[in-house]
Amino acid sequence: MTAPYRLLAAEERARYWRGFAERAVPGIVTLVLIAAMTVPLFVSVPVMPNLGLLAVVIWTSFQPGLMPPWLAFAIGVASDLLFALPLGVQATLLPAAVVAVRLLDLRFAANRYAFDWVAASAVITVFAVAEWRLLAFAGVDGPLGPLLIQAATTILAYPAVVALIARIQRRLASPA
Amino acid sequence: MPHDWPPSRRTSYARREQNLALIGAVVTGAVLATALLLLVLSRINPAFSGRLRAASVDMVAPFWASVRAPFDFVNGGADSLGDYIASVPRARRLTADNAALRRALQDRNALAAENAALRRLVKVVAPRLDLVAVARFAGASSGSYARTAMIAAGTRDGVFSGQAVRAAAGLVGRTAEVGTHAARILLLTDAASRVPVVVARTGQPALAAGAAGRLLEIRNRGNDLPLRVGDQLVTSGAGGLFAPQIPVAVVVDARAEPPRAVPFADPAALDFVAIYRAYLPVPDLPVAAPADAVVVPREARKK
Repeated sequence: MTAPYRLLAAEERARYWRGFAERAVPGIVTLVLIAAMTVPLFVSVPVMPNLGLLAVVIWTSFQPGLMPPWLAFAIGVASDLLFALPLGVQATLLPAAVVAVRLLDLRFAANRYAFDWVAASAVITVFAVAEWRLLAFAGVDGPLGPLLIQAATTILAYPAVVALIARIQRRLASPA
Repeated sequence: MPHDWPPSRRTSYARREQNLALIGAVVTGAVLATALLLLVLSRINPAFSGRLRAASVDMVAPFWASVRAPFDFVNGGADSLGDYIASVPRARRLTADNAALRRALQDRNALAAENAALRRLVKVVAPRLDLVAVARFAGASSGSYARTAMIAAGTRDGVFSGQAVRAAAGLVGRTAEVGTHAARILLLTDAASRVPVVVARTGQPALAAGAAGRLLEIRNRGNDLPLRVGDQLVTSGAGGLFAPQIPVAVVVDARAEPPRAVPFADPAALDFVAIYRAYLPVPDLPVAAPADAVVVPREARKK
């Protein structure tokens, strides 16, 4: 903004506030996806993909500036609370995933879509194993199996979430 | 070798970039440190986030309860249509069942009267079973090990932490974190769930423990009577939370170590559950002396 706020016309003010709202879109979309994971769906194995992790990973590679580690931390706290995990498990792992994806993008900047999928798969698998260890540290000792099943469904859900987020991003980037 | 003297300074733009990167790295480090601190706190005191969790359940459960209602309505309509089509054979079967059940009911009434007389004779005090609320399943978390469900009833409806949750088919779990109008239920299959049971056939006590999967593990069996596939497990009433004789699970793998059982109540098939107050009230803890109380020697107390 160049002129003082009081000197702006109503239209310019609206644009000013919309700018803020649009910067919050990645965080809001991720939180909505996490809330959607609580859909009443009871199955014996955790087939529900970790949509929160996918959204964080994909927004980090699409819009690194709009998914800073502190936002991933806040999202992790929300997801720990919502999924009855010990507070701090996802809150540690999601910012760590952001850092990992940023480093990966720095190293391998331009590449094909399939490479992104493979890289995301690696991040997701490491995430599952790290989650297993952190859960054990926080006193929830369990087998690795269910977490790996969830990692597999998360990897399979990657293209769908990429499509969703790319669509949202295109909608925002194009003048309405 | 040519030298730059004085050495060329970096442009202010490059310096600004570098400072921003440094600040970013410091912030990232601080965020990760905070997260790890939270994790350590959860390890030391797992209950410290209980109130926040209850609030988060409050936010999500009413939403799913309202989303689910129309689906349940459509389901009900389809069911009644099916009932109508198959009504004649069903009516015949029900008439036959009814006759058999009447006979069984007569036997049962006689046994109940005899049981009541015997209980009076030995002066057994039977604790009451209080129904607190009936609520709709609204939301689940099957992310990792936690197997929890949310219901659309909270402290406003008299639901509190540590109450038994039952469905018609059997035990469902217990209430864990409770908000004002929603609560989280710890299902039997959660890795943290332990239910004291007895094997209905032999009467041996055991513990039905959740294993984050479909099946329960049967642990801490009192003696070595072998289990059989099809053995039914019912609550023993030990611990005072679950009333005795609620069906819990049926053994499906007796050879495994520990043996496995599948719960009677399948959360996927439930829509409404009933919440009961704890079967025995928790006794008051004896009042402990304050930790900083001065111990007075007996001799000094004499007047």
